[in-house]
Amino acid sequence: MGTRSAGGSVPHGEQKLYEELGELARFVERAMKAISEASPGILSSSAQLPTASGHLRDLNKMTEEGTLEVMRLTEMIQDNRDRMTKELTAVIAHLQTADGVKLAERLQYVTGVMVEDGKHLTEIMTALSFQDLVAQRVKKLVAILDEVQSKLVELVVIFGIQQHEENTGAEGTAGDLLKQLEESKTTAMKQQVADDILVQFGFK
Amino acid sequence: MPADPNMKILVVDDMVTMRRIVKNILKQLGFANIDEAENGQEALQKLRGDTYGFVVSDWNMPVMTGIDLLRAIRGDEKLKAIPVLMVTAEAQQSNLVEAVQAGVSNYIVKPFTAETLQEKLGKIFK
Repeated sequence: MGTRSAGGSVPHGEQKLYEELGELARFVERAMKAISEASPGILSSSAQLPTASGHLRDLNKMTEEGTLEVMRLTEMIQDNRDRMTKELTAVIAHLQTADGVKLAERLQYVTGVMVEDGKHLTEIMTALSFQDLVAQRVKKLVAILDEVQSKLVELVVIFGIQQHEENTGAEGTAGDLLKQLEESKTTAMKQQVADDILVQFGFK
Repeated sequence: MPADPNMKILVVDDMVTMRRIVKNILKQLGFANIDEAENGQEALQKLRGDTYGFVVSDWNMPVMTGIDLLRAIRGDEKLKAIPVLMVTAEAQQSNLVEAVQAGVSNYIVKPFTAETLQEKLGKIFK
């Protein structure tokens, strides 16, 4: 350890140390100031993330419901098609024995068209697998958002960011968009409700 | 040996829409005896409780994944001979290799067509 000189000046080694400590203190102060300035945004984002995740989960539900409805109708058409094919086959056999050859040929053609449509219906069903692929990606996005939120919460805890009542959840464009999404959940009307209201206003 | 149209088939996927698609295609191919499970664990319980001739399984599922289900099937004396077809969005070569090493009977990558499923069935049950 060095000793002060007779003139009172700080030894070079210690001077360097004081300068570095000073630089470090200034760095910490700048970092704390930056975090403090960012804290309303961090708190806002942290509060918005669960809502954003919820909307992504809703997307899964909505695409699933739409897909299942299309499937239900497709399956009904497939079943009807199967019944009609059986009926036509029986009619064709009968007509052939009763010498209704031309008529039988036309019915055979109709049966062929129905078989083609059957393939198209199956293709519709398999095309609906888009919902599964969308849902898997959404699940991964939700997991990412959950992790980001968890990290933000860590930041809040580590740096002791203070939450002010007026700064929760509704900041900026993201906040406005989330508000719109939330409203669409509760205020979007089904057609029957709209029709009932129109009737009340005299619409026929 | 060709596929028995009366054999009991288990379709395993956590997405109800995907189970319905696979079930629909199998029905179009003449298989009417189809059961469903939402994850590998539920599938394993059903497989151990009844006689199944074929399993069609997804990979990514909660509770127990398809690859773990496959390993459990191949490790079970009663179940190890059941053909297992993986139908999955996991399209990496490493996934396919892992499934082959675990004893998968064939592998389909989503999105798929009915023709592909039929072709794989034909290869498994030729």
